[in-house]
Amino acid sequence: MDAQADANKLVFKLVLVGDGGTGKTTFVKRHMTGEFEKKYIATLGVEVHPLDFQTNYGHITFNVWDTAGQEKFGGLRDGYYIQGQCGIIMFDVTSRITYKNVPNWHRDLERVCEGIPIVLCGNKVDVKERKVKTSNVTFHRKKNLQYLEISAKSNYNFEKPFLWLARKLTGKQDLEFVAAPALQPAETVVDPELMAKYAAEMEAAEAAPLPDDEDSEL
Amino acid sequence: MSAFDNDASKPEEEIDPHFEPIVQVGDKVESKTMEEDEDALFKMRAKLFRFDREEGSWKERGTGDVRLLQHKTTHKVRLVMRRDKTLKVCANHMISSQMVLKPNIGSDRSWVWTVLADYADDEPRQETLAIRFANAENANLFKEEFEKAKAINENLKEGESSAPAPSEPAKEEKTDVVGEETKPTEEAPTQDAAAPEEPAAKEEVAPATEATEEKKEEEEKKEDTA
Repeated sequence: MDAQADANKLVFKLVLVGDGGTGKTTFVKRHMTGEFEKKYIATLGVEVHPLDFQTNYGHITFNVWDTAGQEKFGGLRDGYYIQGQCGIIMFDVTSRITYKNVPNWHRDLERVCEGIPIVLCGNKVDVKERKVKTSNVTFHRKKNLQYLEISAKSNYNFEKPFLWLARKLTGKQDLEFVAAPALQPAETVVDPELMAKYAAEMEAAEAAPLPDDEDSEL
Repeated sequence: MSAFDNDASKPEEEIDPHFEPIVQVGDKVESKTMEEDEDALFKMRAKLFRFDREEGSWKERGTGDVRLLQHKTTHKVRLVMRRDKTLKVCANHMISSQMVLKPNIGSDRSWVWTVLADYADDEPRQETLAIRFANAENANLFKEEFEKAKAINENLKEGESSAPAPSEPAKEEKTDVVGEETKPTEEAPTQDAAAPEEPAAKEEVAPATEATEEKKEEEEKKEDTA
């Protein structure tokens, strides 16, 4: 839209891998719409989603290749990794096996995309009964990965993987996320028919309780 | 073993592998927030939800500061909310006369309302939104300011259209159909009074804003220690 922004438009292919159920799709959805999906629906093959970020060096898009974690739904597997420019390997800190499998995911990704910046993400750190402690996580040290503990549920560090990758890919260590443009909204013309339709929706919405009442972040 | 633990407890940032950048980017750029010509009349931390029609349930939309922004020249007020950290827009719409804040079942700190066109994403969308605050007091403060903003916009509109198009009363009847309590216009300032009203609103809001700021800091501390 903005000519200047267009000129600076940076697009990167990001490959997101890790065992099934570690929260890859939930993490991506959290960034796309803000929602936190609790239901587990296994990803088949791959889903590609563009995630946009406004930074002090211009606009950045990560095309996130959210791949199937479950072997039986793997589809083309490392066929999806081709021309990946950065990666996230996700495991679940409440499940030891998902950390044990990290070297396999790393080996496969590295085989296709040699030397790309990769973030190792330990997800679900909001859960009290952790099985993989911070001190147990050592894989990243010998393999040149960045390790980050995150929680898609509580939003803890949820922006950090993208921030770190953006800094590495651009070589700008002082890159930060900045406010995205909030376009002036147009005024709406009230259409009684439409309003009647939405009144019914409004009633349903009033009667539906809001989720998760804790709000520690408010 | 204890040596290992100490080692691992170092901040994650200390281990920072080097990679050659794969793109050449220029100097820093000033990007527009598109809020440059506006003043914030109100700001408070909140959590926003959108109603999923198909599923009949609420989906989280973002946590951050909800703000009421008044344009410096048109004086119109819109609601803008950005998510923490990524600063992406999760709500962006004009405050219009048909909007009524209704409580959400069993909650004394939430409001529900319908938006005909929300501009948070690229394409405008009709949304039924809910917003939840830390407590009932904050929720009521928001409602007060929301109603004030509504009155400001309504008066601007009347000022605009009264001369060329005298069809305004018919429009008001239409909005009644939606179930809005017929708002007496007494608290609504006339268009001339709209401008002096603005700084007054700001003064009232200032302490609340500071309080939220403090809370945010506290919350960040909590996060760091976690």
